[in-house]
Formats: sequence, C-alpha cells, structure tokens
Amino acid sequence: MKDTIPTAKTASRRPEPAARGGRPRRRKLTFDRVTFFLAFLGVPLAIFVIFVLIPFGQAIFWAMTDWRGFSPDYNFVGLDNFTKMFQDDIFLKALRNVALLAVFVPLVTLTLALGVAVAITLGGPSKGPVRGIRGASFYRIISFFPYVVPAIIVGLIWAQMYDPNAGLLNGVLTGLGLDRFDTFAWLGEKATAMPAVMFVIIWGLVGFYAVLFIAAIKGVPAELYEAARIDGAGRLRTTVSITLPAIRDSVQTAYIYLGIAALDAFVYVQAMVPNGGPDNSTLTISQRLFNVAFAKQQFGYATAMGVVLAVVTLVFAALVFLVNRLTGGGEGESKRKAPGSKARRAAAEGGAG
Amino acid sequence: MTIRAGSLDRRTLLRGAIATAAMGSFAAACSSPSSKDGDGGSGPKGEKSATNPFGVAANSTVEAAIFDGGYGTDYVDYTNQVLGSQVKGLEVQVKPVVDIAPQLQPRFVGGNPPDLIDNSGEDQIGFLGILDQLEELDDLFEANTYEGKKIADIVYPGVKTPGTFRDKFVALNYVMTVYGVWYSKTLFEENGWTPPKTWDEALDLGQQAKKKGKYLFVHGKEAATYYRTLLIDSAIKEGGDEVRLGLENLEKGCWSHPAIQGVIKVMETMVRQKMFVPGGSGTQFQKAQAIWSNDQKALLYPSGGWIENEMKKATKADFQMTGFPSMTLTDKPALPYESLRAAAGEPFIVPAQGKNPAGAKEVLRAMLSEKAAANFSKTKLAPTIVKGTVPADGYGSTALVSQTTMLEAAGTNIFNYMFVETYGMNTDQLVPWNSFLAGDLDGKGLTSALQKISDKVREDDSVDKVKVS
Repeated sequence: MKDTIPTAKTASRRPEPAARGGRPRRRKLTFDRVTFFLAFLGVPLAIFVIFVLIPFGQAIFWAMTDWRGFSPDYNFVGLDNFTKMFQDDIFLKALRNVALLAVFVPLVTLTLALGVAVAITLGGPSKGPVRGIRGASFYRIISFFPYVVPAIIVGLIWAQMYDPNAGLLNGVLTGLGLDRFDTFAWLGEKATAMPAVMFVIIWGLVGFYAVLFIAAIKGVPAELYEAARIDGAGRLRTTVSITLPAIRDSVQTAYIYLGIAALDAFVYVQAMVPNGGPDNSTLTISQRLFNVAFAKQQFGYATAMGVVLAVVTLVFAALVFLVNRLTGGGEGESKRKAPGSKARRAAAEGGAG
Repeated sequence: MTIRAGSLDRRTLLRGAIATAAMGSFAAACSSPSSKDGDGGSGPKGEKSATNPFGVAANSTVEAAIFDGGYGTDYVDYTNQVLGSQVKGLEVQVKPVVDIAPQLQPRFVGGNPPDLIDNSGEDQIGFLGILDQLEELDDLFEANTYEGKKIADIVYPGVKTPGTFRDKFVALNYVMTVYGVWYSKTLFEENGWTPPKTWDEALDLGQQAKKKGKYLFVHGKEAATYYRTLLIDSAIKEGGDEVRLGLENLEKGCWSHPAIQGVIKVMETMVRQKMFVPGGSGTQFQKAQAIWSNDQKALLYPSGGWIENEMKKATKADFQMTGFPSMTLTDKPALPYESLRAAAGEPFIVPAQGKNPAGAKEVLRAMLSEKAAANFSKTKLAPTIVKGTVPADGYGSTALVSQTTMLEAAGTNIFNYMFVETYGMNTDQLVPWNSFLAGDLDGKGLTSALQKISDKVREDDSVDKVKVS
C-alpha cells in the first residue's frame, strides 16, 4: 500500500492548474516531451492497435466468410456461420461445458485459495499479535508448487494418474479396499469426466490465487482484526465480514482471470481428454474451434466460434462486474453505506496512514 | 485524501488488462488470407535428361516438411545418399513436423509452402482444400527409376487411387498399409488357439480367453475408431461394394445396412459379455495397446501394419506379432475371406508454389529407388509401394512377413475407403465409439450416432463432396 502514496499525490496535483487558471495551461512541445510521448504512449498504443485491435476487426470479418484456410480465396456469407453454429448440437454442448467450467472453477478455486490465504495470514493463535498458523511460510510455498509446473505437464501427469488400469488414483482407492474403483475410467465415464477435469484445473491454480490473496490480506491493517477480535469475532466471522470486503477488488480481478482461463481450458482438456471426453461431456469451444479449423478446414466457421467465445468472455467479465457492483463493491462510491465499501475505505485509509 | 484517485488508476489499469486478455480470444482466429504474391515454380531450372527427367537445377536444395510420426523422418534424409548419383549436388533438407496443418497453414496462405510435404498424421491438411495448389504427379509415374525401369511398372496396383482427387493425381502415397487383426503367435500356440475367421469364432475365442482371465479386445480413447475400421472392413467383405459406396457417398441410412448391423450386433454382445478390457475409454491409446502387446491381457487388436513399429519398445519378448484379415460375418461373404483393406499411405505432396517443385519430384523418384525403398522396409518394418523389396525373412519381422503374405493372398481383392479422412469425421466418430465400447451406448445408439455424423456432412452445403463409384 505504501507504494501507492506518491502516485496518488501526483495524480491529485494534476487538475490544479485548470482550477486556478480556468483553462489548462498548454505546455510547449519540447523535444523531451515529444520523445516522452512517443516512447511511453505511441509505442504501446501502436502495439495495441496492430496486435489487438486490427486482428480483432479482422476476426469479425473472417467470421462472415467461408474461407477454407489454405488459399486466399473466400466468399462473403454474412451471418450464415452464426446461424449454423447455434443449430450445431456439438457446439451448443461445448458452450454448455464452458459455462459449467466458468461457474465452478473460479468459485471452488477462490474459496479454497481464500481458505489457504486466511489460514496462512490470520489463522494463528488467538492471543498476541494477529499472525498465521505455525509453519505458514512452508504451507505458502507448498501451495504454490502446482502452479510452477506448466499446465500441459499438469494435464499429462493427471491423465496418467486417472488411468483406469495402471493409474495411481485407482491404485490408491483399490488399496484402501474400494474395489469398485478397479479399472474405473475417471475420464471415460460421463458422470466423472468433467469433475475430474475441473479438479485438475483447480489443483493447478489454487496456489497462485492463495499467494495473491495473501498479498492482499497483508495490506489490510492489523488494527482492524485486533478490533474485531476484541469485539469477540471468531475466525469465520472475521473472514466473511472483514477480510472478504477488504480484498474484494482482488477477488473480482481473480474471478475474471480465472473465468477467462476456465472458458478456454484448452491445454488441460487437450492433455487429458483430447477428443471431447465421453459423449462430448468435456468438449470446450476452443477444442471444437481447433477441430473445425484444421480437420474440417472451415476456418471461417471456426473464426465465428472464436468471436462467440470472445463475446462469451466479455459477457462473463461484465457479469462479474455487475454482481460486484450490486453487492456493494466496485466504484459505487455514492453507496458509502454498503458495508463492503466502508471496510475497504477503512482498509485503504489504514494502509495510507 | 488522495486515495481515491490512486485506486481509480489502478482499477482502470486492471480493467484494461482484463479487456486485453478477453480480446486475446480473438487471436484464435489464426492468420488471415493475404494476396497471392508467390511466384511459384520459377526457381532455378536445369537441363532435362535421362538422369534428370524433371530438369532440376544442379546444386539446388529441396525443403521437405516431413510428418514426424510412427515412421520418423530419417528415411527421407536417407535419399541424400542416392540423390547425388543422378542430379549433381541436389540436396534435401528435412524438417520434422508433427502438426502438419497448423504449422504449414500460414505458409500456404502466404504463398511460400515447402517444396515437399509428407501430409500425414492426425493434423493432416485436407486435400480438397489445397487441391488447386498442388503439382500433378503423373509425370513422376511416367519417369524411369534410378534402375532404369518405368515407375508405374514397379509399384503395387492401385497406389494412385488414394492420392487422386477429382481426377487429379496429386499425392504419392509411399507406404503400403495393410489393415487387419493382430495377435501373438507364441501366445496362441501355447494355448492351442487359432485366429478366428468369422465373428462367431471370435465370440468363442472370447469365451476361452475369459476362462484364462483374459479379454478378447482392448481399446484406447484416441483409437476407439480402430473398431470402426474393423467393422467396415468386415461389412464390406460381407455385403460387397454397396456397403462401401453407401458409406463413401454418405447415403441416407448407410449405417443400417444389414452387413454393418450384423457385425455391430456381435460387437455389442462382446461388449455386454465384458470381452473388452474395462476402462478403455479412459485410457491413452498406446497404454491400451501395451495391455495387449506387453501385458497380454487382451488377445486381439485391430490395427494397421504400423502397429509393430509403434509398439516396438512395449512388446513382450518373443511375441511374434502376426496379422490376419478381418473376420467375416457369415461363411458366404460377397468377397472372399482373404480380401482386405490395404492402401498406400503417407501421402507426399508437391505444392505448385514451392521454390523447387522439380527438385521435390526428384526426391520422390529417389525414394522409389530400390536402395531407398529397401532401406525403408528394413528400418521401419513396413512395405513401401515398390514391389519386391521385402525379403522372405522380412528382416526378422513376423509382422512384415504376414503383411506381405496377406497382400499376396488377397491378390486383386483389395479395397479401401476414404470418407472418414476426406470429411474429417474421426474426432466426431470417436465419441459414440468410446461410449459403445464402454457399454454406455447400445448398437442402435451407435448406429444412429454414426448416421447423424454422416448426415450432417451430407446436408452441409459448405462442404465439398467427393462422389465415389
């Protein structure tokens, strides 16, 4: 938090000339200023336009063609690709699957990550200063381990763990006397394939978000917790009423990043269930897109799927913002009465002071 | 206080970052078509002569993108040892590629494809999409080999067919692939079993296997459709050409043909009687194959002739891998028992826009030389399309010998079908096949799922169809 103070002061000074003179004073375009703008504004803006905005526009255009991908020839077909897509039962199934991923993966991951973070930062003895459980730094490092392993390797390792005949998971389960898991195909049964995939994604990501939350919680002033403790709040109550509101910006950001990762999930599913799983129960839009583009050579149609995926992603992000706003967070500064913003303000002030 | 401005800045930054990440999804749209600016085929030219039928420039190089799969890429590199003898200084530079279509797509669009491509593997480029960008290879078959014989005369019959699309011969399929059912001769002799000739015999064998605590078949999740190959092969033998043409032309109700249904029914019985190793639909296919070749928990495995090379490191000692033609349904099939699916595979294509198309053809001519073809069979244990390059002992490989034997026994009764590859249907078909072999879907459900996949392609106007007759 201390780092933000200088930035904040600079920012606050900016409108001053306008207030004094009634009109912003124009500064001379010195060589210094021009080069400064070019380097710090022009270059990033150019990169953004060339590599983000232009491909963005192009994708929308190609989504309305029947381009086959290997020659420069194509015809403009309007919205045909989109009408075809929403009559395609396999695509709709993929859409449903990524919706499931976007709902459950962030929810479970963040709940677990919050639990780990709270235990590590605040879960310690209730006497003396507020601190984490014993060996907190050890657990923090351990929980980060899976994130260090690249996603593709996580996927391949778990594909082996889930192997029905030689996998570690079934070996342990049958070893415990659960004979019904002998040769049980975790990734081959409709009921378990999707949960099994979700578990792996969550397993791989919890550590990172735990560390993120630990950093956020450390920015919350300890006085707040001490005050809550004096008032008799238990650990659960502190977590729900103090920690969560105080770090809600971090939670929102994490939710959106995780949602985007879950909507894609390509690496994990491709490593574990490359063909969409039993009855396509784990097929994702990105897998379908890949198959339509490279196996069926319908690049125009595949691009249309990419456009829909991007729209779904944006809608997801908008939903998260909306929910956060409605529950009293976000930028609703007028809603000062909301407990969330109060706590955050308190936290912010504490951090600054 | 000044906190507000500070936190707003941070939030704006985060939002920008999120928007950027969301837009990243658009990047999935891959590279876009650009204008045609390649001046293909205008590379250096040389004098045409008896030893240089395509007029390759001396000391030129050929860029070859070779699929790095079961056969590796060293056999193309090997041609460098023979190339120089006919065209001075010609050299082929091999680039191993696994994902052919995704890796080469931008180069096709950009108009600068490699000179020679082994368009094979799971991500091969569909031929119909690039047909008008490929060199026709008829002049290759008219040319003489390095030994001075006409190439068309030294190859197996019908090898042009799988490389011909809309009457254009554009792909030279180099490896002769024989499809059949594979078993361990040693294991069968120990137990007094014989390879089944009909599906009823296979059912009996399954019962005997169960008594020994073994299974009849095994399947892996990426290769469940090997049983589709077995099904279609048996059905074509039973019902003849009408089965094959129905499937190839995506006809209505083609999967309901009595010959197909007869085989599905037996398969369904086998699944229900637990003659398939359980859990296959959740097992990586090479691990599943090792259950057959190494653990010997399953007796039979339907596959192509590449299976021996693929499982080389995971095969039990003294396994004696041997193949036999797919089982027939009745004892009066339309085609004899010996008939089988065999096709030239590993399609080599020469893009017309490449820098040295003549050089690429010369490399293909070198690959068809006796020395290079024999080297392939010896190191890969698979026959090439060049006849008579496999000695009687098959370089010590029982699988190679049985492929040659099967081919000879079949004579002219060799068939092939391409609809799965042509329309890229394998991924879609894997889904019902995995469900069926796991016992979650009955024969009726499998039939309607497969029919639906065929119907969908037939009714999609944006897909070019190939009429097969």
